[in-house]
Amino acid sequence: MTMALIELRDVTKTYKRDAIEIPVLESVTISVPEGDYLGLMGPSGSGKSTLLNLLAGIDRPTGGSIRIGDTEISTLSERALAAWRARHIGFIFQLYNLIPVLTAFENVELPLLLTSLSKKQRREHVMTALNIVSLADRAAHYPRQLSGGQEQRVAIARAIVTDPTLLLADEPTGDLDAKSAGEVLTLLQRLNTEYKKTIVMVTHDPHAAERATHLLHLEKGTLVEQVGA
Amino acid sequence: MKFVGLVFKSARRNLRRTMLTVFSVAIAVFLFAALRAVLDGFHAAAEASSSTRIVTIRSTSMIFSMPSTHAEIVRGLPGVRDVTWASWFGGIYKDPKNFFGQFAIEPESYLRMFPEIVLTPEQKAAFLEDRTGCIVGDGLVKQFGWKLGDKIVLKVGIPIYGREDFPFTIRGIYKAGSNAVDNQTMLFHWKYADERSVRPGEVGWLVSEIANPDQAPQIADAIDRKFENTPYETKTDTEKAFQSSFASMFGNLDLLLGSIAIAVVVTTLFVAGNTMAMSVRERTTEIAVMRTLGYPSHIIFFLIAGEGLLMSLVGGVLGASLARVLVTPSTFGGNSFMPPFGVSGRNVVIGVLLSALIGVAAGLIPATMASRLKIVDALRRAA
Amino acid sequence: MGLIANYNVRSMLVRKGTAAMTAMGIAMVVAVFVMTLAIAQGFRATLVASGSPQNAIVLRKSATSETVSAVMKPEFALIETLPQIARDAQGQPLASPELVVIISRPRISDNQPANVPLRGVGPRAFQVRDSIKFVEGRRFTPGLREINVGKLAVGRFKGLSLGSDVKFGNVIWKVVGVFTADDASFESEVWGDVDLMLNAFQRSGYQSVTIKLTDPSALESLQAAIMGDPRLDFKVEREQDYYDEQSQVMTTVIRVFGTFVTLILSIGAMFGAMNTMYAAVGYRTREIGTLRALGFSRGRIVTAFLAESVMLALIGGVVGCLLALPVHGLSTGTTNMASFSEVAFKFRITPALLAGGMVFAGLMGAAGGLLPAIRAARIPVARALREI
Repeated sequence: MTMALIELRDVTKTYKRDAIEIPVLESVTISVPEGDYLGLMGPSGSGKSTLLNLLAGIDRPTGGSIRIGDTEISTLSERALAAWRARHIGFIFQLYNLIPVLTAFENVELPLLLTSLSKKQRREHVMTALNIVSLADRAAHYPRQLSGGQEQRVAIARAIVTDPTLLLADEPTGDLDAKSAGEVLTLLQRLNTEYKKTIVMVTHDPHAAERATHLLHLEKGTLVEQVGA
Repeated sequence: MKFVGLVFKSARRNLRRTMLTVFSVAIAVFLFAALRAVLDGFHAAAEASSSTRIVTIRSTSMIFSMPSTHAEIVRGLPGVRDVTWASWFGGIYKDPKNFFGQFAIEPESYLRMFPEIVLTPEQKAAFLEDRTGCIVGDGLVKQFGWKLGDKIVLKVGIPIYGREDFPFTIRGIYKAGSNAVDNQTMLFHWKYADERSVRPGEVGWLVSEIANPDQAPQIADAIDRKFENTPYETKTDTEKAFQSSFASMFGNLDLLLGSIAIAVVVTTLFVAGNTMAMSVRERTTEIAVMRTLGYPSHIIFFLIAGEGLLMSLVGGVLGASLARVLVTPSTFGGNSFMPPFGVSGRNVVIGVLLSALIGVAAGLIPATMASRLKIVDALRRAA
Repeated sequence: MGLIANYNVRSMLVRKGTAAMTAMGIAMVVAVFVMTLAIAQGFRATLVASGSPQNAIVLRKSATSETVSAVMKPEFALIETLPQIARDAQGQPLASPELVVIISRPRISDNQPANVPLRGVGPRAFQVRDSIKFVEGRRFTPGLREINVGKLAVGRFKGLSLGSDVKFGNVIWKVVGVFTADDASFESEVWGDVDLMLNAFQRSGYQSVTIKLTDPSALESLQAAIMGDPRLDFKVEREQDYYDEQSQVMTTVIRVFGTFVTLILSIGAMFGAMNTMYAAVGYRTREIGTLRALGFSRGRIVTAFLAESVMLALIGGVVGCLLALPVHGLSTGTTNMASFSEVAFKFRITPALLAGGMVFAGLMGAAGGLLPAIRAARIPVARALREI
């Protein structure tokens, strides 16, 4: 077995509300090989979104270690973590979260502004990403001029434009109709098979879960079963 | 820089709000520049005063006069190159409300010692020749619509000059070559007023030209010692000190106008700071998204602070330019209590710098708020 | 309306940061408004307090102020005999021949020479002006080189405290008393024997005569008596009217200036209020939709938002008034252009001025809230309910 891309060991997460500590994740240990397409399932409040946030480096574990690639991210400084996210993570939100005042092109370009690429290089990268999601013709449109499915595809383009190590999706089809959801899922699958992207996706949707190569179920903060494919 | 585009796009998000903020900063900078212009106006005469002229008045108060023979005594003192004199006439032109300065001067020496009174040689000659002639500043001419050759009549204001009216002919219209002279005054022959004075041969004050400005204190002292223990004791000081005492007559203007200026800036800080805080609050999710994309907190900070700075600077440039165009000596024309003033280039620059300061200060707290945002909390709040 | 008011107060509490900032903006404007007008108010009050309704001042017909008037000694003798003048127990007329000249004294605050009015008065001046009270020392003795100094002048100019020797008119005068005058401009003056002043300043006559009337209504008959006498080229004014007139120019300048500054500044603060109210309407689109669905009319919605804006502004107004209050009673000074001499006065904040500040705040709130309130009322119900 090759070295796993993601290694979580005994990861716990508790939130403090007033004086009470609420455990969200308890001693979760997972390893995800490179090129995997992992589906995270579980009821509301099971901790799956928290787990995704920990992987994205936008939240910190209370205990345990998280290694992604060669980096132990639980010990990185805030600044180093931001730089790490920019390089290694592509995040897809349930509500797309495009910036309304920017065009599709500018939204996709946003993460590239943090790199040292020239304007011309950025333009090439953006157009490549938009081509992959088949929205190159909508580059000049603002989010409000796009349908929900198109918005989500622009958001996916934004997630992949930096060629990240890991794609994270939080209920990517949660707000879409069946047809658009299908398109988005197909796109994600293509990214996994054709572009060899490692994907971790949180979902409620059984149709979405079908596309994943592995599934993990979380319940009350612990892993309950693992379904092989 | 590539992020500047983002700042511009953000500022355009809520255009109405941005415009309202820009206008309130513009108004603040306009007021600030105008207030500074007023203050400068009051200090202008002292600033522009000549370092080679010293002024001798009666030690009791400048409303008292001294014999014109004092002038000849002063002329004989070492270090004094030239001497002239003037008296306050205090006449009334038609109505007491038309207040302006009227000075009875010894014409030849006065014009010689005040090259700032700019007059064509023909007009100067015409004035010197006509005993009842006068010269008036172009500011005054504008106010009353006079022209060369006009006859004007002043009623006596100070009983010393008898009861009969004084007719004059305008022989010259002078321009002020520097702020050291006022272009809203009238000058005429001292002899004309003196002929009718119940106390002939008396003058209001002396002006002496000295060879070396560094000797001003010693020469002033020498003049005053000369008249010590006579019925007409004197007090001599530099022209600058003389002018400053006029500016201070109105009270502590620096403090008054300064306090108002601070209030203006603070008010605007509240308005602009509030706008930035509102705009950050509305954009909480967006900021969290950008942080997720890997934007470090310092770039977020600069984006928000930059937006505050941008709005303020646009407002500042707008306000300062408006002040420059609108606040000119003629804005408050016809009010001779106030010196003529306009917004100088320096005040425009200070105004714009001030707007930058307001922008930075107003953006500081919201930008810190934005950069310290907990990504997960912010994303959850929106969901 | 009760519900609406309650609703708005709570909404304001929810957005307390924004609301507080807006109110503070308005507070600053109100503070500037109240403070500058307090200067005008104080200046005018000081001059008006100088005049009594029972006193009259006699000036040469052409004179605009006492400093440019002239009353010769024989003329004074004629005036003194008029029956409209009150008399003391000894039967002496209560009329004070006066001469005001300006002497130069350095200010304590900045050491700049200032023009201090020096008033020569007649022996019965303290009966004519009965508001004068001595806080230190005693009255000057007629015929001696003694002077009395107003309390504000002592605090404002150098070397005028009790016991000091002051040199002017080439002779030395001793300060033997310090007086107050119910905040009148006399408190900025120096008083001494008028006949000694005439000599010291080589003057041949007085400038004016101030008279205590037998009764305030005796003014007209006094005017008629003086106008009717061909030997007297004088006019008579009620002392109060005279000082009121003297304050006009300066008061107008300060008022115009203060209004100009506050009006411009208020536009800025209004923009701030507008921003806040637009944001308030934006945050509450759904609530507004709900209220409308429940049957609240557009008028009610406009009223509610206007009320919120005005309320916010009034809170700012109260804060502004409180910010301005500490300057009340602070003394300052300026030159009264009518007399070319310095008058010390106190900032004066009257209830009417505070009320004016509050009205001004309310207007700013109403003007700033109007457009956002109209926008709130125009929100279509169905769309509002759909919004997140």
